[in-house]
Amino acid sequence: MERADVAIIGGGLVGCATAWRLARKGASVVLIEAGDINAGASGQNAGSLHFQIERRFLENGDALAEQGAQIVALSRHAVIDWRTIERELETDLHVAMHGGLMVAETAEQVALLEAKAARESREGLTVRTLDGDEARAMAPYLSSGILAANFSADEGHADPRAITPALAEAARGEGAQVRTGTHVRAITRENGRFVIRGNGLALSADQLLVAAGAWSADVCALINIHMPIYPVALLMNATERAPPIIPHLVQHVGRRLSLKQTHAGNLLIGGGWPSRLAQTLHGGFDLSAKAQMIPESLTGNLLAARDVVPGVTRLNLIRSWTGVTAITSDQLPIVGPVPRMPGLWVAAGGSAFTLGLTFARLMADAMTGDEADELSLLSPARFEHLNGFMG
Amino acid sequence: MADRIECDVAIIGGGPAGQAAALALSGHGLSIVVIDEQPRPGGQILRQPPARFAVRGWLEERSYRPLKQLLGRFQALDDIHWLGSHSVIGLQRGSVMAMGPEGVTTVTARHILIAAGCHDLAVPLPGWTLPGVYAAGGIQAFIKGQQLLVGNRILVAGTHPLQLIIAAQIVAAGGSVAAVLFAQPRSAMVAALARHPLAALRRVPDLLATAAALRALARAGTPIHFGTSLEALIGTDRVSAAQTSAGTINCDAVGLCYGFVPQSALPRMAGAQMRPSGPAGGWACGHDDFMRTSVPGVSAAGETTGVAGAAAAAAGGALAGIGIALDLGLISLEAAEHAARTPRRDLAQHRAFAALLDAVADPRAYFPAPSADTIICRCEDVEQATIAAELPVCQSANAVKLATRCGMGACQGRNCEPSLLRMMAKAGNVPETGFTPRFPARPVSIADLLPPQ
Repeated sequence: MERADVAIIGGGLVGCATAWRLARKGASVVLIEAGDINAGASGQNAGSLHFQIERRFLENGDALAEQGAQIVALSRHAVIDWRTIERELETDLHVAMHGGLMVAETAEQVALLEAKAARESREGLTVRTLDGDEARAMAPYLSSGILAANFSADEGHADPRAITPALAEAARGEGAQVRTGTHVRAITRENGRFVIRGNGLALSADQLLVAAGAWSADVCALINIHMPIYPVALLMNATERAPPIIPHLVQHVGRRLSLKQTHAGNLLIGGGWPSRLAQTLHGGFDLSAKAQMIPESLTGNLLAARDVVPGVTRLNLIRSWTGVTAITSDQLPIVGPVPRMPGLWVAAGGSAFTLGLTFARLMADAMTGDEADELSLLSPARFEHLNGFMG
Repeated sequence: MADRIECDVAIIGGGPAGQAAALALSGHGLSIVVIDEQPRPGGQILRQPPARFAVRGWLEERSYRPLKQLLGRFQALDDIHWLGSHSVIGLQRGSVMAMGPEGVTTVTARHILIAAGCHDLAVPLPGWTLPGVYAAGGIQAFIKGQQLLVGNRILVAGTHPLQLIIAAQIVAAGGSVAAVLFAQPRSAMVAALARHPLAALRRVPDLLATAAALRALARAGTPIHFGTSLEALIGTDRVSAAQTSAGTINCDAVGLCYGFVPQSALPRMAGAQMRPSGPAGGWACGHDDFMRTSVPGVSAAGETTGVAGAAAAAAGGALAGIGIALDLGLISLEAAEHAARTPRRDLAQHRAFAALLDAVADPRAYFPAPSADTIICRCEDVEQATIAAELPVCQSANAVKLATRCGMGACQGRNCEPSLLRMMAKAGNVPETGFTPRFPARPVSIADLLPPQ
């Protein structure tokens, strides 16, 4: 049987970045991926680097908004991680951090923006509040219907096609093993170690990190642990290529919208519109089958885009796709060690494009014995009650 | 602008399959919508000129006669809602999204028939993206629909016998064919024919059409070469010559004719089970003995179910129409089985001939070799070497797409997917599926998807 210090399940951004960080610290690492590297949400998301508090945290009352605000502390790390990653990997990852605008179209939304900006400044994130004309002066592509916007200078986007393969390559370069096409069938504990078996795989590891996105709950189930992670199928849309017109990340405080222009020129339009997950024959969700587009999601998303950036109507839509990501029962990602099972780590539950490099760096520190207090907000310990009868 | 139509049956495609299905379903009091990209019915095989054109001797060859009769009967129907000039861009169980001159129409239907036809296999070789290089079927479409010739000296090259018919049509339209090149030796074609003499004999009219084309080309002095393969196309701002295994041939247009692949975007988008199509590649939609796909309420007929020609399409379309009438409770199972006998027999016979044609035209050993800088994906300008570099680490077509942008452009991979899958197979990896199909099947203006402001 093979031995390693750390086994990582999941070849997405977090898994590959953690493998790279750990290998660089001298740990022996085996990364196990069922399909191809970057095949899940890491490669399918639209590449937003968003640091302002997300709309989804703002629309469900104060308590959740407060919780959403706490994640800002991690965002400050993420800004630095994204600003330095191209230099560290010596690769062009199409990181473009030219600022981001979160816009409002109604007086109610303007009030939401102002409350959001106040929360953010308490957490140490600087955003400027612009009125409609100031916003259009900065971003002439915006509609005359925009009444106000928050501007964060660090926001932007990066290329989801590029970052994870580059991290996997870097991990290999530092000596990590990357096994694709390898399905984990069983995980057992033997003498305090994790024994992981799959097709062509028999591995014994001191520590195990589950970073399998929407599949993480199923992987945790293999070792008899509950993890409250739920799959979410989100629609995204790409236009044909256009000359450079939108340097910023554009989001909406009251409607589901994220919009940006990639280095290739395509506009990517998303923002959290649902697709319908496929079902298994026995009920429940089938993540291996293609999710179905909901026509109302397409129309709703494109309407929001038109109302904010009217010029999109002059472009052709060339592709709509659905990425399957995950959400936790309290909307915050789950990142850190599982108290019930020493040596088991989890990193899943969304936000892992913007924050993934930071999750990986902090986890690699913590797994090798350094302090990583910043992750305490996201610790799986908050769901320990679910595992009182498990393990 | 967005619009809605509700109907009992939506038929996608106004070619022989769609026409035959409409004829089988007509008279039952159903509301039937037939959607086609062309303004007028006929499909690719009888691509009609615009109604205000008067064309002398349009497709007069004898082999077109039964199809013209079918088209005439279809056009005489008075209970069909013809939705011409509409491209279907989205398909789910029970609903079709079609884009037309006035915007997008959503057609909801109790039953949907996909009879979307096929398209030419795109064949990358050095120089194939030069202006003047066409799919041979494209050259034919210009002639059938507009009496247009794409060049003054057209070279036709590939492995498919249809290129003889297309060359003869170029000559008949007043054009000049530089040469017709078959990459395979004549002996290979004769051997394939000889293996299936019965199937060949049953389709004497098609063989006669080929013989007539050969005579017409001989009269025009058009050289026909066997065992002569294309190596590269040459030119600066337009193709001016072809480099072949038998020397250089001057020309100002080229038609590539290596075979045809089913239009598979729509059944794949709907989630229907597909199977590998003929030797040219692509995916054919699977079906039962009433042409139902694996998706409830969705049937398929014609080239979408495997490239087998217009006669097979008409038989499959009739059978699909009977199946839909059965599923909608209009006829009994007994009546359906009885009515299905003739189209089933015809379909089997035509498919046997198609298998023979596949063997004769099999391009697999004769594809031109792209060079490292030959573009494989034209929408995103992805070169052969870029894809080759990813093959060792990518297990799926999707992974190659994500890594290289191959298939990420406006055609949704329709053109590059077979080339990519061939490259993967050559590298020892035969994927079970191609790219995940995505909406929209054709690029669509965002304004057309939205209600007016």
